[in-house]
Amino acid sequence: MTPTALSRISRRGLLALSGAGLAAMTLTLPRAALAEGRNILVIAAGQDIPNFDPHVATGYSASFFLRNVYDPLVRVAGNPPQAVPALAESWESSADGLSHTFRLNPAARFHNGDAVTADDVVYSFERALRLAKGNSWMIRGIVEPGRITAVDAGTVRFDLAAPFAAFLAVLPWIFIVNKAQVEANLGSDDGMAWLLANTAGSGPFAVKRAQPGALYELERPATLWQPGAGNLTGVIWQIIRETASQRLALQQGEVHFAVDLTSEDMDSLRDRPGVIRVIEPEYRTFSIKMNTAYGPMADVELRKAVSYATNYQAIVDAAGYADLMIGPLPLGILGHNPALEVYRLNLEKAREHLARSAHPNGGLTLRMVHVNGLEQQRRWALIMLDSLKALNIDLEIQPMLWPDMVAACQKPETFPDLFPVYQTANYGDPDNIAFAAYHSSRNGGWQNAVYKNPEVDALIEAGRREIDTAKRVGIYGRMQEMVVADAPDIFGVLERRKLGMRDAVKGFVFAPVASNAIECHGLSL
Amino acid sequence: MLRFVLRRLVLVLPVLLGMTVMMFIIARLLPGDPVALAAGPNATAAEIAAYAAEFGLDQPVTVQYWRYLSGLLGGDFGVSIFSRRPVLDDLLTYLPATLELVLAAMFLAVVLGIPAGLAAAVWRNRWPDYLGRVAALAAISMPRFFLGLLLQLGFAMWLLWLPLGGRFPIILEPPPLVTGFLTLDALIAGDGTAFATACRHLAMPAIAMCLSPLATIMRMMRASTIEVLQQDYVMTARALGLPARQIVFKYVAKNAVSATLTVIGLYFGWLLGGTVLVETVFDWPGLGLYATQAIVSQDFMPVIGVAMVIGLLFVLVNLVVDLLYGVINPKVRYS
Repeated sequence: MTPTALSRISRRGLLALSGAGLAAMTLTLPRAALAEGRNILVIAAGQDIPNFDPHVATGYSASFFLRNVYDPLVRVAGNPPQAVPALAESWESSADGLSHTFRLNPAARFHNGDAVTADDVVYSFERALRLAKGNSWMIRGIVEPGRITAVDAGTVRFDLAAPFAAFLAVLPWIFIVNKAQVEANLGSDDGMAWLLANTAGSGPFAVKRAQPGALYELERPATLWQPGAGNLTGVIWQIIRETASQRLALQQGEVHFAVDLTSEDMDSLRDRPGVIRVIEPEYRTFSIKMNTAYGPMADVELRKAVSYATNYQAIVDAAGYADLMIGPLPLGILGHNPALEVYRLNLEKAREHLARSAHPNGGLTLRMVHVNGLEQQRRWALIMLDSLKALNIDLEIQPMLWPDMVAACQKPETFPDLFPVYQTANYGDPDNIAFAAYHSSRNGGWQNAVYKNPEVDALIEAGRREIDTAKRVGIYGRMQEMVVADAPDIFGVLERRKLGMRDAVKGFVFAPVASNAIECHGLSL
Repeated sequence: MLRFVLRRLVLVLPVLLGMTVMMFIIARLLPGDPVALAAGPNATAAEIAAYAAEFGLDQPVTVQYWRYLSGLLGGDFGVSIFSRRPVLDDLLTYLPATLELVLAAMFLAVVLGIPAGLAAAVWRNRWPDYLGRVAALAAISMPRFFLGLLLQLGFAMWLLWLPLGGRFPIILEPPPLVTGFLTLDALIAGDGTAFATACRHLAMPAIAMCLSPLATIMRMMRASTIEVLQQDYVMTARALGLPARQIVFKYVAKNAVSATLTVIGLYFGWLLGGTVLVETVFDWPGLGLYATQAIVSQDFMPVIGVAMVIGLLFVLVNLVVDLLYGVINPKVRYS
């Protein structure tokens, strides 16, 4: 056997194989430009849509789906966010804020052609309350079954259990289903199994195809009744999990929106032709909660010392496109006090408070956890490690899986000394963050595991009951001062929403509530 | 042989049963609270308890396990507590994508790895051998996700030859679902364009997946071939003046490939369980991503379902490999 003889044979074979492979690879690709020609908007997002049931599903992907396939009574739009007509073309409220009457748009039709009636509205709210899942917590204790009345086919009245200033703000998140369709597919679980993958909505888009884990395509229904439609014929929610891949797809024009971009991605997109960077403040806070109920951090003087020792500039630098928080409420939201006196790096004051604490010379070790894999939280933990050295306080940093962190919140004894957490406002009202993050009824949950102050509770409750805006501003002003005095959190940053958008998209108006769950009805290409 | 196959298949049952027991025990030992997580941050304690009751998670573990096992016999893999979707539906959705990717990667690894190993052995210590060994070392050392990103940068961003990710262009309708393998479904539908499109989407993820097994197969094949080339019967064949091509392909390759088969079987299981990084980079909607998301959120019904499917496939593939030994070497006896 001679190697030369064999080499001739194999080389040819290999070359043929290589040539065939290369030819296969160099075939041209169908480009996403096709989507533009057909006026189909493509949104790149990292999150799959877990469930189509409007009274069960949560998460921003579900919000996107529900906002486009279903209709609420009113929608939220603008900056600052306002309630605008959706199924309800008009509404009025009683002077005491207890009674709210909505008149439905007579043109409103479900995708199967049925008219949307007050009965459907009553059924939907009662179903949401009955299931006690999804967004029903927003109306829990406020709207009660039996107190929602179909006055006539086109009018529905809510008699609230208590005045609720944010009532209009939460309505965009309670979606109306077609009672007849759901009742026909009720099963043994109130229609949950059917609505998991079927829809009974009246929204400006209907489901064309669903490929779990890959994409969801919506199309205009034949029953489209909403005024102000853009020229879109369809929308595709394309799941692209890596933010870098989302950015590349946006750069290439394969998608029109990328909704999960990082600060680094936004920097890379600067001056890219055809790409518009949307970087806007949103009501999304990122703070470090302290264990106010157990262990060394139960000492308010130690909490103040830690608050004054924190390097806030490093925290905002690590967050990228973000603004430092001024107190517990998001900047710009009703009642937020921009002149509030809050903690900033001041080692002299930090040492004063430390001297008044049970650990006047430091010498203790605190425990901070963060979500395993969340780089920004890890960076914050390192900043805290560095900041606390000035007080002779050591920090044990422990990465954890999110379910383990949620479990740790159940008892003060298991809650760590420092716990970083994002809080996204589900509706554009101070009640949302105030109630979720500082009301003691939330104790045991991750949003407010341990903080409890009866006076703060009373103010939060007064704030949600009061319907006079000026009085609410006063109430939330006092509440912010009290929370700052208690120092339950290291008030961190308000992250700016970072969206990448192609310049072919027309009609997009940013709203600081659920802005990554894009409403597509009015958009054009 | 039939008895051998049946015995192996019967042995699968205790393996799968053991897996379900282990997964149940692990799920209960972990400190997290998946129910509270699934119920959402605004759920009250009563709502969380109701949520747990709805999924039977308030029952003793033995009761939960018995219910699961009973359901399993009827083909019910349980329900995800997060999405509420039946796990079986999810498995049927995601498994074909992963299988298609793994089979494509294994196909590339075998089709390229065996000839490359053979060539390296035949030209031992000459340039094809050096080249192959260096390439194999590089392939084994290169993390798959990193290679995936490099491929995307080169072929999708710069050359614009291949799509960035996904299984099929989002704007086109995929071929009618028959097997769930888009390439196969396109062929069944007689749609050549769809087949070519599906292949283009499959190319980069399959290349990223195949390099490590390709390198191992190549090295294994090289070592086996060198060993076989030194056998007496090869010397005899040379002495008799048989053509080189005949010696290599008819006598050497056939005998050398037996050992490589074992590696192929083992790698199949390894690839099935390790697709997540490639699936993430290329947005390949497969089982790896599904399992990872379930693990991170401690959604254990999907995790158990995935583990069982991968376990079953692993056993079946290795059974096929064992049977192939007999096809390649008639002297093998199944006892």
